[in-house]
Amino acid sequence: MRILGQTNIDFMGLRKYFFVVSLVVIMVGMGAIVTKGLELGIDFVGGTELVVEFEEAVPVGDIRAVMTEAGFDQAVIRTFGAPEDILIRTIEMDHGDQRTRDVILSLLAENFPDNPTIVLREDSIGPAIGAELRRDATMAIIVALFAILGYIAIRFKFVYGMGAVAAIFHDVLVALGLLVLLHGTSPYLNLEISQHIIAAFLTIIGLSVNDTVVVFDRIRENLKLYRSWSLYDVINKSINDTLSRTIITSGTVLIVLVILFVFGGEVTRGFAFTLIIGVIIGTYSSIYIASALVIEWVNRSQQKAKAAHKVS
Amino acid sequence: MKKNRTKIIVILAAIGLSLYFLYPTYQDYQHTQRLEELSGADSVAYFEEHEEKIRQARLQRMKLGLDLQGGMRVVLEVDITRLLDELAENKDDQFEQLMEQVRTEAARGEEPVLDIFGRTFSEAGIRLSRYYGSIRDTDEQILNNLQSNADGAIDRAIQIVRNRVDQYGVAEPGIQRMGARRIIVELPGVTDEEEVRQLLQGTAMLEFKLLREPEIVFTVLERIDAYLAQEQEDPDALEDIDVDTLETPEFDPQLAEEEIERQHPFLYYVRPDQQGTGVSYVAEHHRDRVNRILARPEIRELIPDNFQFVWSANEQFISEGREYYALYAVHETPELTGGVITSAQATIDPQYNQPIVTMSMDSEGSREWARITGANIGRQIAIVLDDAVFSAPVVRSRITGGRSQIEGMANIDEARLLEIILEAGAMPAPVAIVEQRTVGPSLGEDSIRRGLNSMILAMGLTIIFMIVYYNTAGSIADLALLFNILFILGVLAGFQATLTLPGIAGIILTIGMAVDANVLIFERIREEQVTGKTLRAAIDSGYAKAFSAIFDANITTFMVGVILYNFGTGPVQGFALTLMIGIAASLFSAIVITRVIFDSLTERKGAKVSFG
Repeated sequence: MRILGQTNIDFMGLRKYFFVVSLVVIMVGMGAIVTKGLELGIDFVGGTELVVEFEEAVPVGDIRAVMTEAGFDQAVIRTFGAPEDILIRTIEMDHGDQRTRDVILSLLAENFPDNPTIVLREDSIGPAIGAELRRDATMAIIVALFAILGYIAIRFKFVYGMGAVAAIFHDVLVALGLLVLLHGTSPYLNLEISQHIIAAFLTIIGLSVNDTVVVFDRIRENLKLYRSWSLYDVINKSINDTLSRTIITSGTVLIVLVILFVFGGEVTRGFAFTLIIGVIIGTYSSIYIASALVIEWVNRSQQKAKAAHKVS
Repeated sequence: MKKNRTKIIVILAAIGLSLYFLYPTYQDYQHTQRLEELSGADSVAYFEEHEEKIRQARLQRMKLGLDLQGGMRVVLEVDITRLLDELAENKDDQFEQLMEQVRTEAARGEEPVLDIFGRTFSEAGIRLSRYYGSIRDTDEQILNNLQSNADGAIDRAIQIVRNRVDQYGVAEPGIQRMGARRIIVELPGVTDEEEVRQLLQGTAMLEFKLLREPEIVFTVLERIDAYLAQEQEDPDALEDIDVDTLETPEFDPQLAEEEIERQHPFLYYVRPDQQGTGVSYVAEHHRDRVNRILARPEIRELIPDNFQFVWSANEQFISEGREYYALYAVHETPELTGGVITSAQATIDPQYNQPIVTMSMDSEGSREWARITGANIGRQIAIVLDDAVFSAPVVRSRITGGRSQIEGMANIDEARLLEIILEAGAMPAPVAIVEQRTVGPSLGEDSIRRGLNSMILAMGLTIIFMIVYYNTAGSIADLALLFNILFILGVLAGFQATLTLPGIAGIILTIGMAVDANVLIFERIREEQVTGKTLRAAIDSGYAKAFSAIFDANITTFMVGVILYNFGTGPVQGFALTLMIGIAASLFSAIVITRVIFDSLTERKGAKVSFG
């Protein structure tokens, strides 16, 4: 079976249009981050997070009313997967002499006496730990970017490294923006920034680089084979050569992720969703960001060199 | 075939090794299934019969993370402000006030607590010697002392926590030091929050307890033995029998093992030492059984007042590959508690070149100690921390002045441990819980089920797709994929790594990635076939040309895995680990295994392999 034969699409001819598209999507995402704000999970802000299961579903509004009355007006309250499962998060660990979880649990027991709860999960994290995790996560992403830049610069050329890193930046920004836009639009999409999401972002980085490297590898090879061709033509041919593979691989990874998203349960849902966005963007960016930027940079430096020639 | 012989051997070895590592996990699963089917007495009987095998399998099986089996993860931090507070003497209002200032400033976490403390007191013009040390000490000396005390607090806290968790009887606890001030405690299967908080945060209790007289100990042991033997023979007759009249046959070492076990259902497991000190030894895997026996109400009645069985904290010796613990019988009322100890120090005795621990006591303690030691020369006194015996030295002479010397440690590490234990009883090691995560067992089960379901579904779809799209070659890639999963699980089990939920996500992702390597190769082979190459030539150059792309792509992803593993904590690390193992395994199975299969398929002239 074959989905695609040899294609001959002029991908690079459309690059300017897609630069605009990417820019617009990033701007919209950034706008959403500024207006809606990033919702950081308990890992990064500290506090207490409880997931309780009621025997019968309770409207989130009722619980919020009870909590607000008791002074937890900043608490995040929402369903966790099933309507019976409720997630409650506050920034406090201790509530006076009592521990916050005890206060919350007794509040629920008092106000919903006929509807007993069991605790499915509970996390409490001190503020210092939250700050450390934030720092570690940022460090992880920065170190990963530099490691990738270094490796590709060594194996290919510095411009290619820059192209790959630019593609990563693009992917992370677009994914982050979309995450913030979509967070909370459905009770089944809880996309707060947790440790799982950070892991998902780092995986996006890995997958995006993976795709970019495959295209670059073909460019490296075709540059040797077609010495008389322009870079523009070589890159176009390389993308066409690898297109079939790109579609099949991204397709299978997507199938796997969609399964994880649908059947993996609440805990991995956000993770899978982030990766689904990431795989699609990663595939796109290896063509229209990484490769396209290589052309732009090479063209520009050639023009500069020509200009320099004219002057002298 | 010949040129691939080494490769085939490596492949078979990898498969064999993975199966070998996974076998205990399979066994453990079988035992668990069996135990679940049986109920009540039957399951206890089954457990006792197969106890050793079950334990062995459990020890070597693949570990499941807390998110999958439920349990608690707690991060403790040594609380320096509280330590300073607890160490201070003659506290007054001014002290409390200044400490309050220190506390507020320390909460910001910008400066070491001791620096804040020193500055706050000197700014207020208060000499530290008012509350710490002796009147002649300078502030600097006191601060140095406090610093070394704070540095030691983490060691004390770890020992206290480890000891308590061991006594509490959690299976496979994880206790790990993180940095200079933190301890990570992982307690699988435990969800009783209040109990764990008390367990981890309570003050340590060090006691000196006199060992019971050997004759009495023997009588008690024999009584229990006789009772259990009678119960085996004729349980109905027990009620009418006066236990004291029961006789046990002489212990005859010539008898066959089973016979001894039948005649002596207690002494078979609890073996008194040859010197007649009243201390018995129990193999590690029999400890639970002995505990179960001793906890039975009928057996408790056979034990006299002020008589308590306590275990040694560590194994005492190893015989035939088994670790043996000592079971001490002590007076329940302690002779002295650890509060009287002022210092403990492990050193090497210069005279005999032996490790020793010297211990000093305050004046009140010294007086008591002189009386106790004087009255009990030649007897053993157990040093008990939170109900576990760390040492049971023999009293040589009456000790006056409070300075005692404890000998008989095998090496300096053992002496150092005893030093920490003695200090733990004397000095506070306050810890605060800075992070706590609890996963209820039902959520864990749900996660396993969902994780496995998605894994099977993802694999099934991928396998079908590959066969449809690449035909014979696709089914070969599928075979490699199955081996790939086997290798990942085998490596996880072999390294005793822990499988977590993000770990399962990592494996699922690897399924997708593993396919990529084969897709790259197969697409290349198709391209080569289009140029009119023979099958073998197309396969050869397809593999050769695809290699650099596969290599570079996997190396970069692997780098991301390494970085994730180093900077991430808990859940992220689990994901990174399976991702790295998965990349290594998929490189091996996609490049080596499929290649060997293609080679052997195309060996015959005119052979055909369809690439779809």
